[in-house]
Amino acid sequence: MIKGHHILLLSLLIISCEKDDICIEGSENTNRITISFIDNETKSPKGITLINVKSIENDSIIHEEFSGESIKLPLKVNSNKTKFLFDNKDNLDTLTIYHQSIHQYLNRSCGYISNFLINDQTEIIKTTGWIREITVEKDSIFNEEKTNIFIYY
Amino acid sequence: MKKKQIYLFIISIWLSTNMLVSQTELNISDSLVIKDKLLTMNKLSLGVDLFKPIKSSSDGDNLNYEIVGDLQLTENLYLAGEYGIVDRIIEDENINFNSSGSFLRIGFNYNMFENWVGMDNSIYLGLRYATSNFSNKIINYTVRNQDSYFSNLVENDFQTIEYSGLSGNWIEIVAGLKVETFKNVYLGFSLRLNKLLSDSEPDNFDTLFIPGFNKVTDENTFGSGFNYTLTYSIPLRKKKK
Repeated sequence: MIKGHHILLLSLLIISCEKDDICIEGSENTNRITISFIDNETKSPKGITLINVKSIENDSIIHEEFSGESIKLPLKVNSNKTKFLFDNKDNLDTLTIYHQSIHQYLNRSCGYISNFLINDQTEIIKTTGWIREITVEKDSIFNEEKTNIFIYY
Repeated sequence: MKKKQIYLFIISIWLSTNMLVSQTELNISDSLVIKDKLLTMNKLSLGVDLFKPIKSSSDGDNLNYEIVGDLQLTENLYLAGEYGIVDRIIEDENINFNSSGSFLRIGFNYNMFENWVGMDNSIYLGLRYATSNFSNKIINYTVRNQDSYFSNLVENDFQTIEYSGLSGNWIEIVAGLKVETFKNVYLGFSLRLNKLLSDSEPDNFDTLFIPGFNKVTDENTFGSGFNYTLTYSIPLRKKKK
């Protein structure tokens, strides 16, 4: 009889050992916004060189000495507004993106990711005005394949 | 799913009644023993889990408790159950949430320990059907993000996520022991292996913890638990000697 108990107790102990939950690499993730730069004269994509790109609320810089036709930037998951400061040869323009942060549950190990919907109020505040205008091309951010916002300059 | 639970419950009752019947059959020749073995409701035990209130107060949670009870049916077979209230903060991998609710487990214990005269200890195996109703409130969570430029912690003030009316059902295999420390006062310990039968699937969240069942894992439906009890046994009739 005692042997039977031992086996049961042992199996209880073994089964109660928990496997560590690790979010698998390559699981869905929170995506960034894609912003492309367009020449205001020719209306065609044109590379730009910026001294830096940062958020207003955050002192650290996201991109230093950025150059390229499009840039990917993180949006705030715990706010409905993200503000960026684009520094083009010491000319600073602010881009305020209004968005809905929609959180999607994956599983215990990965938790939530955030998708975004860009609202119409999204605007630029011209300080020195190197940005001519912006257009919202694709308002939903569920992947990083398409450009969401065009900046004309 | 509901049907399955009902079947299991019936099977568990059927199994235990079988034990009862087979016992009486075995002892049919000994008329003196029959009287003693069949429906000798000698005692009713009531008690509390000592561990849960201590743990909840040290963790800063609201009071958690579990009351236990059993009723002797035959010499070795007991009708047994537990009822508990849980209000706990669960700190999970990415999500911290509050789980509050109650649970009820009903089933049988079968004593396998042969006592010497005058002793009343037991080593038992048991089976339970258990159910829990609870609600979850998410306190905060960290959003999985490839970019950590901004904080990815989401607090309650941005978005409140609450789920009520959640439920879970499971069965438990129990292995435990009970030792009489003073006259009619027992200390007990039991280990439980739980097998989840069904649970609620809240929208855009998951059942990660069920009161009475404990942690629910992604990969399988097994859980475990234990209790450490102090019980008092009420003699229902005087033993004839």
